[in-house]
Amino acid sequence: MANNTRSLCARSAAALTIAEVQLKHRSLNVVMAAFLPQLNDNERSFYQQLCYGVLRLHPTLIFLGNQLLKKPFKNKDADIAALFLTGLYQLRDLRTPSHAAISETVNAAKKLGKQWATGLLNACLRNYQRQHTELEAQLQHNPVAGTAHPEWLLQQYQSDWPDHWQQITQANNQQAPMMLRVNRQQASRETYLQQLLQQDIGATALRDCDDGVLLSKAYDVNALPNFETGMASVQDGAAQLVVKMLDIQPDQHILDACAAPGGKSCHILEQHPDNTLVALDISAERLKQIEQNLSRLQLGAQLKAADASDTDAWWDGELFDRILIDAPCSGSGVIRRHPDIKLLRRPEDITSLAHTQQQLLDKLWPLLKADGLMVYTTCSAFKKENEQQIEAFLQRHPDAKELRFEQAPATARPYGYQRLPGDDVMDGFYYACLRRR
Amino acid sequence: MAILNILHFPDPRLRKKAEPITDVNDKIRQLADDMLETMYDAPGIGLAATQVNIQKRILVIDISEDKSDPLVLINPEIVAAEGEREFEEGCLSVPEAYEAVIRADKVKIKAVNLQGEDFEFTTDGLLATCVQHEIDHLDGKLFVDYLSNLKRQRIKKRLEKHQKQKL
Repeated sequence: MANNTRSLCARSAAALTIAEVQLKHRSLNVVMAAFLPQLNDNERSFYQQLCYGVLRLHPTLIFLGNQLLKKPFKNKDADIAALFLTGLYQLRDLRTPSHAAISETVNAAKKLGKQWATGLLNACLRNYQRQHTELEAQLQHNPVAGTAHPEWLLQQYQSDWPDHWQQITQANNQQAPMMLRVNRQQASRETYLQQLLQQDIGATALRDCDDGVLLSKAYDVNALPNFETGMASVQDGAAQLVVKMLDIQPDQHILDACAAPGGKSCHILEQHPDNTLVALDISAERLKQIEQNLSRLQLGAQLKAADASDTDAWWDGELFDRILIDAPCSGSGVIRRHPDIKLLRRPEDITSLAHTQQQLLDKLWPLLKADGLMVYTTCSAFKKENEQQIEAFLQRHPDAKELRFEQAPATARPYGYQRLPGDDVMDGFYYACLRRR
Repeated sequence: MAILNILHFPDPRLRKKAEPITDVNDKIRQLADDMLETMYDAPGIGLAATQVNIQKRILVIDISEDKSDPLVLINPEIVAAEGEREFEEGCLSVPEAYEAVIRADKVKIKAVNLQGEDFEFTTDGLLATCVQHEIDHLDGKLFVDYLSNLKRQRIKKRLEKHQKQKL
C-alpha cells in the first residue's frame, strides 16, 4: 500500500509550503496552518524549522542552487525547486547527517509524485557537498546572497541606517526567542515563573517588561502551565512595552484601531478589565483571532470589522481617552519572526503603506479627547513609516505634542523611539506617543 | 538484498491468485528482506508478493515513520472483522491515485511468522486497513476494484498512457 497524501513527511510538506508562499504570495503562517494538521506529531517541529530556515536564507540558497543547476525549474515544478532548497539548507545549516539529508530529500520527491527528480536532486546535492568550499566563498562577493536579503530591502536598510544595516541584516537571520506575557489579572509574573520552573521550562523575567517572560527555547503553547485558562499569552516584549506608553487608567474609553490578532488589546484590558475597549480590524477573518484570545483570557471588548480610517462607517461619536494605532507596515523590524517578508514584500508596498499610515493618523486624531493620548507603533525599521511619518504629522497638527519618556521603550530618535533588529533581545519596533492639547 | 520490480495496474499478473507457503525457509526469509527493501524504497507502507510478480502468500508492512516496525505475514487470514472505516488509500501498483475505500475497522489476523510459527493478533486503524489491502493483493484484488467503474477506467487510462510513454 502507498502512503496516502495525508501522511506527508516534513520535507515534502515544507517543499509544498515554500512553493505556495513563493508562487501564490500567501503568508507563511496561513500556509503552515493548513499543513500542520496533516503531519504527524513528531514531524511538526522539523517541518516548521525547515520552512522558517529556508525562507530566512532564501536569497542565499537560491544563489547556491543556481550555481548547481544547469537550467532553472519550471513553475509547475516549484515544489521540487523548493525541495532542492530544503536539501541545501539541511546540508549547510542543520546537523542532519549529510547522507540522511540527501536520501530523505530524494525520498520526499517520490512522495511529491515526482520520481523523475530523484536523480537530479541526488546529483545536485552531492555536487554541493563536493564544491561547497568554493561555492560558499562566492557569497562574499554577492551582497544579496551574502546577507540573504533581496536587493531593495538591503538598500533600504543601508540608506536608512548606514551604521547599523549589518547588525540589522544579521539579526534578521537569527531565530527569534519565545516570549510570554503573564496575565496580571490571574497571576503575578513571579508566581508564573515558578510554575514554569516546576515544569522544567527554562524561563527568566524579561527586562523592562513588567509582565514579560523570556523562555529558554520555543515550546508548544499547550505545554505551558494554565495557558488554556488564560494565565499567559505569547507576545514579544517589544509589543508589551506599548501598553506602558498608553498609561491605562480605570474608567477609560479606548480604541485599538488595527487590533488583530489582539495581543495588545488583551494586554490593555488586563490592566483594567472594566475599561471599554473598541477593537477594530479591517479583516473579519482576523477579527476571529481577537475573539478567541479574548475568550481564552476571559476578557471582553467591542469588536468591529472595519477600516479604522473610514470613521463614518463605525464610529458612534464618543471620544476616546486612548487610541492605539499599531499600523500596518512593512514588517521590516520583525523579519526574524516572519521570514516570508523577504519574498512577499515589494519596494512599492512601502509607499502605499505609508499612505495608509498617514490616513489612520489623520482620520483618528479628531476622535481623541483633549489631553488624551494616541500611541503610534509599527514593527518597521524604515524611517518613512516611522519618524518621518510622525514628523510630518506634527507639522500638520499643531494641537499635537509628542511626549518624551525618561524610561524610553527604545532608542530615542528626533521623533519617537526606534528599536532596530539586534539592539536587544526584542523585535524591531517603533513607538511614538502623542498628546492632544 | 535487492530492489524488486513492482507491477503496475492494469498488468494482468496482478490478478493471479497466490499459493500458500508450505515451508518457511531461507529463500522465503530472503524474499521478505527484498520485499521490505523494495517497499521502503518506493516508499510505501505495505507490499504483497503478487505486486513483485511472485505468487506466494507473503506480505510486508511498516506503518511507522522511521522504518522501525517491519511486519512480515505469511499465509495471512482474516478470522474476524467488525466495524467500518473509510480511508483514502493508495497503492504502489497504482501510482498517484488516492481514493477512499471502506473496510472493516477492526480485524483479527492469523498468520505464520518468519520462524514458521503460527500467531494471531487484533488491530484497528491504519494497520487494519493496510493488512486488508495487502491480503486482497494475494487474492488478485486491487483497491480500485472497490471504486466506481468510471473512476477505475479513468485511472486505468492514465496509467496505460504513462506506460506507453515509457516504452
